[in-house]
Amino acid sequence: MTKAIEALEKGHQLGATSFVLDEEAVVHYLEAVEDQALPRLAQAEGKAWVPPMVVAAFALRSLMEEMALPVGSIHVSQELEFVRPVEVNEQITCRAWLSQRSQRAGWWILAVAMEGVDESTRPVLAGRSTVMVPQ
Amino acid sequence: MSEEATDKKRWIVGAELPSLDRTLSQEKIDRYARASGDFNPIHVDPTFAARTPFGGTIAHGMLLLAYLSEMLTAAFGRAWLSGGRLKARFKGAARPGDVVTVQGRVQRVEGERTACSVECLNQGDEILVAGEAELRL
Repeated sequence: MTKAIEALEKGHQLGATSFVLDEEAVVHYLEAVEDQALPRLAQAEGKAWVPPMVVAAFALRSLMEEMALPVGSIHVSQELEFVRPVEVNEQITCRAWLSQRSQRAGWWILAVAMEGVDESTRPVLAGRSTVMVPQ
Repeated sequence: MSEEATDKKRWIVGAELPSLDRTLSQEKIDRYARASGDFNPIHVDPTFAARTPFGGTIAHGMLLLAYLSEMLTAAFGRAWLSGGRLKARFKGAARPGDVVTVQGRVQRVEGERTACSVECLNQGDEILVAGEAELRL
């Protein structure tokens, strides 16, 4: 579902999105970002942890796709809180809502707040993304 | 818990986090697009990107945050993954060929909470990302 920005009011709830990061996806991500620290830590602790930023990236991608932001939109800031490590093959469900919509100098300024939970609905991460969208 | 995270005395105000350098290329940006599913043409289509105000492709902001996260994981271990917070502003575009330096410094220690300034710079010392990370040690 996509909506025009004009139709999005503050508080608008975006559709929830769920995803599972399997081992293959995590390996590809770790190679892409050249992260050596997370695999080292996970191995030391005997865990199959997912890098925290891949959870955030998947959540944001899904939510931004739903908003159908036009080309030229600029991601200006990002806030994230990682509540606990996510493990490979965990299902994460994210819900998001528009926490700010304003206009300035030919731009929409949109802030989307987001919360990700596990299958027991316990929070695993939260965030707030601010994007500028040309009007 | 990792050795780094348990070494609380190491993280006094002013202490520098272990920095890292990453050299960007279009191939790396494309690889990140495939891994994250973000195929915005500003990142992966040089012809399209050349017609934008950026004049060429730029790296995903979340790729730069992944570099920051690696530094914070290396410095603080599990404490970053459990209760870590990041506030970051994207201030400049990172382009293929750029050498991105990721660095940080402890700014405050208040009880269990430790706050660090973090940033990504390019080879010209231009700030690409600036922010603050906070975690509980």
